[in-house]
Amino acid sequence: MKTSRRNFLKVSALAGGGFAMAIALPATSGLLNNIEASSFDLGAFLNIDTEGTITFILTKHEMGQGSGTGLPMILADEMGADWSKLTLKRSDYDPKFSGREMGTTGGSSTITKMWDVLREAGAMAREMLKQAAANQWSTDVSSLIAENGFVINSSGDRLSFGELAEAASKLSVPSDVKLKEPSEFKYIGKPVKNLITEEVVVGKANYGINIEVEGMVYAAIERCPVYKGKLVSYDDTEARKVNGVLDIIAIPAIEPLMEGVHVQEGVAVIATSTWSAFKAKKLLRIQWDKGENAGESIQTLQDRMAKAKYELHYQKGDFEKTAGGPDHELVEATYDNPYEAHALMEPINATAYYKGDSCEVWVGTQSGERVSKEVAKVSGLPEDKVTVHVLNSGGSFGRRFYSDSSIEAAYLSMQLQKPVKLTWSREDEISHDYFHPYQRSTHKAIIGPDKKLLGWQTSIARAEAYFTGVDPWEIPYHFEHIKTEAVYAGSIVHVGAWRSVGPHSTALGKECFIDELAVKLNKDPLELRLELLEGEIIKEGNDDFAERIMTHRKVVQDRYKAVLNTIKDKGLWKPAAPGRGIGIAIENFSRTVCAHIVELSIDNSYNGFKVHKVTSVVHCGTVVNPHLGRGQIEGSVVWALSAVKYGGIEVKDGVVQRDNFHDNLLLRIDETPELEVHFVESTEPPSGLGEPGTPPLAPAVLNALYNATGKRIRKIPVVRADILTASA
Amino acid sequence: MASYQLTVNGKKHTVDVDSDTPLLWVLRDTLKMHGTKYGCGIAQCGSCTVHVEGIPIRSCCVPIEKLEGKNIITIEGLSEGGTHPVQMAWKEIDVPQCGYCQTGQIMTAAALLERKPNPSDEEIERALKGNICRCGTYPRIKSAIKEAIKMKKS
Repeated sequence: MKTSRRNFLKVSALAGGGFAMAIALPATSGLLNNIEASSFDLGAFLNIDTEGTITFILTKHEMGQGSGTGLPMILADEMGADWSKLTLKRSDYDPKFSGREMGTTGGSSTITKMWDVLREAGAMAREMLKQAAANQWSTDVSSLIAENGFVINSSGDRLSFGELAEAASKLSVPSDVKLKEPSEFKYIGKPVKNLITEEVVVGKANYGINIEVEGMVYAAIERCPVYKGKLVSYDDTEARKVNGVLDIIAIPAIEPLMEGVHVQEGVAVIATSTWSAFKAKKLLRIQWDKGENAGESIQTLQDRMAKAKYELHYQKGDFEKTAGGPDHELVEATYDNPYEAHALMEPINATAYYKGDSCEVWVGTQSGERVSKEVAKVSGLPEDKVTVHVLNSGGSFGRRFYSDSSIEAAYLSMQLQKPVKLTWSREDEISHDYFHPYQRSTHKAIIGPDKKLLGWQTSIARAEAYFTGVDPWEIPYHFEHIKTEAVYAGSIVHVGAWRSVGPHSTALGKECFIDELAVKLNKDPLELRLELLEGEIIKEGNDDFAERIMTHRKVVQDRYKAVLNTIKDKGLWKPAAPGRGIGIAIENFSRTVCAHIVELSIDNSYNGFKVHKVTSVVHCGTVVNPHLGRGQIEGSVVWALSAVKYGGIEVKDGVVQRDNFHDNLLLRIDETPELEVHFVESTEPPSGLGEPGTPPLAPAVLNALYNATGKRIRKIPVVRADILTASA
Repeated sequence: MASYQLTVNGKKHTVDVDSDTPLLWVLRDTLKMHGTKYGCGIAQCGSCTVHVEGIPIRSCCVPIEKLEGKNIITIEGLSEGGTHPVQMAWKEIDVPQCGYCQTGQIMTAAALLERKPNPSDEEIERALKGNICRCGTYPRIKSAIKEAIKMKKS
């Protein structure tokens, strides 16, 4: 395997004896950018004490995606460590992390970006421990091996990592290390259990909502029900009568530092318990200026989308001219993805303690960096006076990327000069969510006289947030003529990142339209996809970026083919059982390609249909932990199926009409289908698994519904009435 | 405000709270026991499940005045050191992802097996239907309950 000469590690003696390794992690960067490590000291990330206990200091956020287990597995494997001697320690956010990989967790990128770094670091630690043993035995280091926390020589003598730690810490970091071959992996690729499980099953896992700070008071906020509405006045007479209420404080207009975060104006109740704060908040009588969104509904948004002027995004060949060609048929279909709520099990919360010249924050967050910078802004303190304690999250799925609750808690603590624990009620969490943005996707295709597909057009209207699906590398299929265009229609509610972001919506239109074309051309939908994947990927442009795009597209194309061929080879794509329908869809997310095969039947007792089985085939390169990885795909299927069956929100006069689990329904255990997950075997570096299982599920369900009924439904959620009224 | 006596995990507590305060908030904010989770406040998600006299209840919707003198078991008191068969099975199958809802799932499952040592698949689904897991660990929850049944037998 390759060797490394990167100078990104620093080793020193651990206080109290032992080995401490500090690491420089790469700058945060997009998938298509170069990743370069730079040298700087950020403090220890790996400690080995004289007892041999290995402490891995986690800077990434643990929110259920399992990277708190996957990351140390990579390191421990390369070191030759004993997994049972490994402990995890969570790091506070450090401003030195700013702009680097440990400042933010998202995009299913953690394992991908840390793979090389952790392997090299692990290998270097291993070589230093071996060198320490070689020095002690006066032998040649090449005759030694490191295994299960020991360095072993050819006669079988053993020295533990603990015994060697101190001596190893005094050696210089090697410039060259050899990484393990995949065949030598001990933990990577094995079903290692989640490190949080032991704490979870006894109720000891430390979520943000559990934090206790001495002298803290409890807060809840009643926010303007309409997005961007303003507080005019309030009467707190009744609210103040509730036992335990200490104070009532207005939340004024607060300008966050970063785009994409709007702190809704409101009124906060401060009390001696969460319950008192929740109870009193309902008794506030508040006058709002509901503002620009007061008349909005999903209908007004759809009307704007229908009239929107799309802007050309990408063009290859000449779609318009070809569409008008003799004997050319133009087909078209439009698909709708609604807003989607996160409905995280742990409601949004944050605890802050402003002490005049410093501020501490305790929060489960995907971005300690954002919390640190935003709290510095709202408190007027320099960032080095802000301490962010990052705690576990009870689910995040993109929502805790935003730091609004930390801004609110810090603001309240400033007013009170006391520690404040702010808890959003479930009603707050759903009705004031940062929703997955509404999207309408229109696709057109040109069919030539010989039934050949000549062109493809994608037109995307999205409420706002992020554009995906319109860049050429997001269309994996080959056509001579391609045109893409897009427009933002302006959102009527707050939007944000939601598990798998853009691809969840763009996959729906793209993969359903391919299925429609297959039916029209009388072809098998899997075979049509394979046909459309045949073609050379050429470099478009001459710069470095064009080169990276080309490489990326080649990887993705190879993975699409590998996934589809695996489905064929394993015989997973087969006609449905009598009375059932099947559907298939495939999508790439961050280079992980996932296909789902859905088998369902029409069933009135389950709101129109019941999904019996979902078979998933996934290509993510090396599967670091198949047990946790499979869990991520299973979880993504359940997540996306909730959206297909019960998702979306209703909006009336600018007010979100859902606010708890009685009206924002989610999939439950009795409706969960049989789930079967296959990974394509690969020794390529790993790509992510937290999100890629989500996008292909909804189109696979709609395609299966067509297969079962002969009727096309082009939106989610799907309810019984849609099946009854759909046309062929 | 009034004074209420309750027994949590075998230990007597006297708490001074409003009569309508749900048990959930007495546990979390007054007694500082955080294993029982707030999820919805309207008995729709099961995150706050505890046992009252052996019966699984949603503690977010039961006011403290109804619990005077009652025996309450929370996740912290289900067993010594996580050794209840349901907890052991949860570890064996390694159910949790984020883990937030799991204490409620475990309390519901433990009560089910107390009442019905050999539940059918349908009975498992019916009993656990009130507990939401947003991470989607449902297949593993089912496997873990079956594992717990095996463990209880052996």
